[in-house]
Amino acid sequence: MLKTDGVTIRFGGLVAVNKVSIHVRKGQITGLIGPNGAGKTTFFNCISGVYKPSEGHVVFDGKNIEGMRPHKVNAAGMARTYQVINLFRKMTVQENIMVGMHSRLKSNFWSDLLRLPNQRKEEKFVREETEKWMEFVGLQDMRDHEAGSLSYGKQRLLEIVRGLASEPKLILLDEPVAGMNSKEKEEFDALLRRILNLGVTILMIEHDMKLVMGVCDYVYCLEHGSLLAEGVPEVVQNNPDVIAAYLGGDE
Amino acid sequence: MKNKKLSGNLLKCLVAVVVALLVPVLLGGSSYMCLVACFVTIYTISASGLDVLYGYSGQISMGHAAFYAIGGYGAGLLSEYLGIPLFISMFIAAAIAALIGALLAFPASKLKFHFLSLATIAFGEIIYQIVTNSPGRITGNYNGFFHSKLDIFGLKLDNNIKFYYFGLVCVVLFLIAKTMIVRSRTGRAFIAIRENTQAAEGMGVNVRKYKIIAFAVSAFFVAFAGSMYLGLVGYLHPDMYLQKQSVLFVTMMLFGGSASLAGPIIGAISIEILLEGLRTFEEYQMLIYGILLLIVIVAMPGGIVGAVKNIKAGILRRRAQKLDKEV
Ligand SMILES: Nc1ncnc2c1ncn2[C@@H]1O[C@H](COP(=O)(O)OP(=O)(O)OP(=O)(O)O)[C@@H](O)[C@H]1O
Ligand SMILES: [Mg+2]
Repeated sequence: MLKTDGVTIRFGGLVAVNKVSIHVRKGQITGLIGPNGAGKTTFFNCISGVYKPSEGHVVFDGKNIEGMRPHKVNAAGMARTYQVINLFRKMTVQENIMVGMHSRLKSNFWSDLLRLPNQRKEEKFVREETEKWMEFVGLQDMRDHEAGSLSYGKQRLLEIVRGLASEPKLILLDEPVAGMNSKEKEEFDALLRRILNLGVTILMIEHDMKLVMGVCDYVYCLEHGSLLAEGVPEVVQNNPDVIAAYLGGDE
Repeated sequence: MKNKKLSGNLLKCLVAVVVALLVPVLLGGSSYMCLVACFVTIYTISASGLDVLYGYSGQISMGHAAFYAIGGYGAGLLSEYLGIPLFISMFIAAAIAALIGALLAFPASKLKFHFLSLATIAFGEIIYQIVTNSPGRITGNYNGFFHSKLDIFGLKLDNNIKFYYFGLVCVVLFLIAKTMIVRSRTGRAFIAIRENTQAAEGMGVNVRKYKIIAFAVSAFFVAFAGSMYLGLVGYLHPDMYLQKQSVLFVTMMLFGGSASLAGPIIGAISIEILLEGLRTFEEYQMLIYGILLLIVIVAMPGGIVGAVKNIKAGILRRRAQKLDKEV
């Protein structure tokens, strides 16, 4: 599904991500962990087109995508959420999901202006489809609420479903349970399973070790921009280097 | 509930159109007052065009007087030198302005907000310089540019009432176009860019493309309005295209309320009336715009439309609280 090969990015002298090679397998949940500032979010940005890696390759679904613009990466079938919630705050819940569907839609400026038959048909489809997604995360009663007015946890859910609305092959989740309450956190395992059932592969950054160990099929651990360990959760969890990194035992 | 809201809006629009149709009667057929009403139609289209750019896609332009000039002079020159009827050349000039807007947006779409405002000011200045120092003096330079008034395939709009009805038809058509654009995939892309450019890009929106489209659309609106001015007055002077004209468009849009259908209309009406009322203080025009802009920015960021919305929401909230207490 996704393979990176020696991905490196430098900001001036700082090497934020250093020769990171990972393999995300289809139909699995892959975890990415590591202490604060390890370069996890920066690595996501390299995969999703926000940054062009200084070195290395990103192969997604058989295609080289490093350096591709983010909107093209999305159209190629990769959706994402953000660590800092990046919703369209003044748009409603439903409208946010509609934007999420953007790359699946075909209408253009002229068909929108002239309300051509295809455009009308497509907009009807958009409304039906967004209903489905709102129900998927239980936001159907909030359809006309501004995204910015939702609780933190609901905003996280909306971000995920906005990403899913593009029907991606792979979704990148950056700390999806941060800010959720305990009930929402508990239900999150089940949500991840339902996302997998849609045929969407998941790559997830998460600090909540209980969640990571519970749901991930495979885990990578980053520290100071480099891969520290990888393997099934139990193995990574018991790796002395990982334990040392998390206890803040700096070298 | 959606349907009720929709038909409510439709009703409001119908009432507005009926009132607009009666304006010349309400003004007692006064030629001067009807001229003011004609300007309102022109400014409504200008401010609405700017709203597509600023209100929806979140890009600022402090130089849209340039497109107003391209529309006016463009239509006039096409008619004068190529013999194309003014009514046709108005559309051609607006299309040319849209193209120029797109070309300008190509590099400008990368600029951050304040740099974009500087770049558009510079663009306004360039167009002003071209108009005042035109090759072969085709624009008449500082003497101004004369043209016969608008006639549409033999139908002469030779008085202000006739022109007003023409202006009204244009307003309705342009506002329908605006509504179709902003309530669609294209419009959602605009708003997404305004709300969060990074996320819009992450959701598959080609940010640059949509910023260019927004620029082109707003240029078309404002240029068409500029060509209407020529058809109405029959005379253009470079001083109409100074920086303060761009500021006027921005003031109208912000004062009425951006990102709405009604805002630019209300802005155009109220500020045009205000300006006419204060004609004797013409040298203080920039001061007046400045004060109005400050009021809007500091006291009512959503303009008049936003303020009305807030008041309505306040009343609803109080009513809900009262009900809560009674229960
Ligand atoms: N655009 C940038 N320019 C310069 N340095 C950057 C840039 N983006 C990230 N960095 C640096 O890269 C390093 C990695 O940051 P990153 O946000 O990827 O960490 P993280 O693993 O996601 O941490 P956290 O768990 O706190 O989210 C940090 O030292 C950060 O300052
Ligand atoms: Mg991070």
